[in-house]
Amino acid sequence: MFDGLVQRLAAIVGPDHVTTAPGDLSNYQYDGSADSALPQVVVMPGSAEEVTAIVSACTAAGCPYVARGAGTGLSGGAVAEAGGAVIAMARLNRILEIDCANRLAIVEPGVVNAHISDAVRAHGLQFVPDPSSQAVCTIGGNLAENSGGLHCLAYGVTSHHVLGCEIVTPDGELVWLGGRAYDAPGYDLLGVFIGSEGTLGIATKVVVKLMPLQEDRRTLLAAFPTVEQASGAVSAIIASGIIPAALEMMDQLSTKAVEAYVNAGFPTDAGAVVIVELEGLRGTLEELVQDVQRICIAHGSREVRQARDEAERERIWLGRKSAFGAMGRLGSSYYVQDGVIPRTKLPEVVSEVAAIAERYGLLIANVFHAGDGNLHPLIVFDERTPGDYERTVAAGADILRACVRHGGSISGEHGIGIEKRDCMTLQFKAADLDLMARLRAAFNPRGLCNPGKLFPTSRRCGESARTVARGALAPEMVDAAGPAF
Amino acid sequence: MRRSSELRALNIPIADELAKRSGSRPRVRPAECEPYAVAGVVPTLVFSPRTVAEASKIVTALAAEGASIAIRGAGTKSYRPPHPHALDVVLESSRCAGISNYTPADLTMTVAAGTPLHVVQETLRPYGQFFPVDPPFAAQTTIGGTLSAGSAGALRQRYGAPRDNVLGMRVCLGDGAIAFTGARVVKSVAGYDIPKLFVGASGTLGFIGEVTLKVAPLPRCEAGVAATFVRCEEACEAARRIAASPLLPMATTLHDGHTRRHIRALGSSSQPWTLLVRCGGSRSAVLRQQEGVIASMRACGAATIETLDADRLHFCWQDVVEAAGGAAYPADRTLVLAIGSLPTQVADVCASITALLPAAEITAHPATGIVYAHVPWPGAGDPSAPHERRLAERAARSLLEQFSAQGHHVKVLSAPVELGTLVAPLSQSAPVALMRRVKAALDPNGTFDPGRFVAGI
Ligand SMILES: Cc1cc2nc3c(=O)[nH]c(=O)nc-3n(C[C@H](O)[C@H](O)[C@H](O)COP(=O)(O)OP(=O)(O)OC[C@H]3O[C@@H](n4cnc5c(N)ncnc54)[C@H](O)[C@@H]3O)c2cc1C
Repeated sequence: MFDGLVQRLAAIVGPDHVTTAPGDLSNYQYDGSADSALPQVVVMPGSAEEVTAIVSACTAAGCPYVARGAGTGLSGGAVAEAGGAVIAMARLNRILEIDCANRLAIVEPGVVNAHISDAVRAHGLQFVPDPSSQAVCTIGGNLAENSGGLHCLAYGVTSHHVLGCEIVTPDGELVWLGGRAYDAPGYDLLGVFIGSEGTLGIATKVVVKLMPLQEDRRTLLAAFPTVEQASGAVSAIIASGIIPAALEMMDQLSTKAVEAYVNAGFPTDAGAVVIVELEGLRGTLEELVQDVQRICIAHGSREVRQARDEAERERIWLGRKSAFGAMGRLGSSYYVQDGVIPRTKLPEVVSEVAAIAERYGLLIANVFHAGDGNLHPLIVFDERTPGDYERTVAAGADILRACVRHGGSISGEHGIGIEKRDCMTLQFKAADLDLMARLRAAFNPRGLCNPGKLFPTSRRCGESARTVARGALAPEMVDAAGPAF
Repeated sequence: MRRSSELRALNIPIADELAKRSGSRPRVRPAECEPYAVAGVVPTLVFSPRTVAEASKIVTALAAEGASIAIRGAGTKSYRPPHPHALDVVLESSRCAGISNYTPADLTMTVAAGTPLHVVQETLRPYGQFFPVDPPFAAQTTIGGTLSAGSAGALRQRYGAPRDNVLGMRVCLGDGAIAFTGARVVKSVAGYDIPKLFVGASGTLGFIGEVTLKVAPLPRCEAGVAATFVRCEEACEAARRIAASPLLPMATTLHDGHTRRHIRALGSSSQPWTLLVRCGGSRSAVLRQQEGVIASMRACGAATIETLDADRLHFCWQDVVEAAGGAAYPADRTLVLAIGSLPTQVADVCASITALLPAAEITAHPATGIVYAHVPWPGAGDPSAPHERRLAERAARSLLEQFSAQGHHVKVLSAPVELGTLVAPLSQSAPVALMRRVKAALDPNGTFDPGRFVAGI
């Protein structure tokens, strides 16, 4: 199809690092979403220069291409929907430099997220963004999705922790956006590249910020009679001026499922539980713990438990992180939705989600990054029941409509990709999308770099029937505790 | 660009027409336009739209005339080089002001871009919150101007830069198109993060009409520590140790004897360098921070150390921000450079500055690697010592070249008219072609301040 391209790619990276074998290609057809498509060729560059040559060769051949990290993305970003080449970053997995004095590290894009923190922990430093997939997902994928994590409430998501990156532009130029130091002159192209879902070019080196590890932390579990009361407590904690490192909430359906699955010690008769983790200097957290307890009790909490030791803390987090694995046992499949609302709107939106569940006759559990209003409603369905699948997608779209109606966003951290592109029109008007299209054309004029993603097609939001997460994630994507999102 | 004389001939009909269409009557008389001069160049017309929709009508009409437009907030960055040769139109934001939405428990505020920063801060304070940026010209600067200039103060150490605290924007592009970009909630990855592009763009991509900010709780307590050092490197080492520790203070600034003199609350010192650390958090956290900061300062050889209570710290901070490219220096008579380097390079950068420009007055943010140099410059009309001025100019140019070659990020923030063409060379790997295409995509006719951004964009 793309005459001679495979040979040219083999000449660039060596024949061992290119494959067109059907068995190999099928390993690259999925990411963590339901979407799949077979690429025609997979190529594994070993250097930035090789990426440049690959991009130029693909461009010359008119062949679409998409970068791929670990393939844990949840919106179809790394799926080669248009066919063509998958550029797998697996060999670009070196930590090139650790500069403790300046609190930064330079890494290749295929480096696994957790490996950065592992490499700098002995120096009392960490790379803050901690998506639950951190044991496998790559820094290139984090950059592309602007990923968040459980501890991003206080310290910010990926874009707050990246100083610069070297990229290959779709024109085949190797340039630096940002750098090691702050305040690179000119437009903040780094800022728009982060979160661009692989549509503006391919990152080949990333300068990440490192933050000092905290001395001490306290983990609290508060049980509330209702989700409304729990939401009120969450808003009140933030309004009181406390920004915990993590502030999570789970409704009763989730806690019940979790308790049947792992023994996390969640009170299953509570309407909702809130997990608060406070971090800071040794000897300074007691004051905050007391405030949080007082606020929770004032909002109707019957019980605020503080983890007495690391084992108890781990059990609480195990419960939180097992939520989705546990829900998966209630039906054959589940679909994780990802929407954001102003956190003060939590009670209203939660009751709307309940109404949606009822309307569609589906089971929907709610797990929230409550501190920043990021909802992860989890829709349980049975793939074997005709129509269940379509109803799930439609219900998911209705949840997004509710988020937008309350002034929120259709994605807090999982991205748009293929999955949500037709829902972009809920949140953005034609002129808003046109601004995005202008930007994409400035970077990616031929449209060969990860085509089809992010921008709406002619379908309606909720119509595309493939956008359902597979119930079972590949085991290597999931840490011991199970997927947490 | 349209020739000014031509535009002036046209200006009355345009003004009438626009007044009808947009409800916004421009200033047309030179005397009225003079306060809006950019580096001494007086615009032909000055428009003051109240909304982004009005701005769009004005931009559309003027772009059709081929006029160029400079966007202005409070005008505190008017001497940023390269200075304009001629100026058709100034679009100024003072009437586009007001706070349209603020929900304290959501930590978000939506405000019109012409709203002064101090108004935003005063609105937030009763709720125990603030917008965590501390740019210079705190009394004048507007939200739109602060963002367009991208000026991050020392608070970046804990809170990130302005770019990190902007969630969404409504903008008018160079062809008059109005678009919303970003979101109004604290977390969103839907679509490209285009607000970041407008932060630091100096108004060359579009007119920012309205912004949604991410605000932060004020720390419950604050206090400071100020120490003096004989050697710059010792002070920088102390700053690095503090920044690498779990203490997480709010900000750190470094001053030479000159910039220290601007900080009224500190008084004078016989030591050449002063390191100031702003601590914030719960009461016990602030005490621990102060202890840890003092220990690091002592270990690095501080000559004197004193603690500051919250009132004295805040009084200090008023002057600290103005001594970093701010109101402490007259814009038309000072060359102001900002150098982005690494924390370990700050002392060397300071030494290079002093070696070539002995008159330079230095403030640095040693934890984030930023150094500000202020070089007093006699006015162009000043007959004194033209030879020395020429030498100083040559020194400034070679300093910029040296820093760029070393990979530092250099900006000329402000320059007297005489140095109106002084800009820092860009590094080889700077994405100039991409920047040009981004500019062309958002401002297709080159309407907004053509030629006045980096690389002649
Ligand atoms: C169990 C599980 C838990 C998760 N938890 C979270 C969570 O807590 N928070 C969160 O935010 N996300 C979470 N995710 C989503 C996912 O892990 C993140 O989006 C992650 O950043 C993707 O990284 P990846 O290496 O797998 O990227 P991929 O899936 O391989 O790719 C994602 C996108 O990045 C692009 N890309 C990859 N490398 C590059 C590069 N070098 N240059 C340019 N573009 C590139 C791809 O083209 C694609 O568009 C979770 C996923 C799973 C399966």
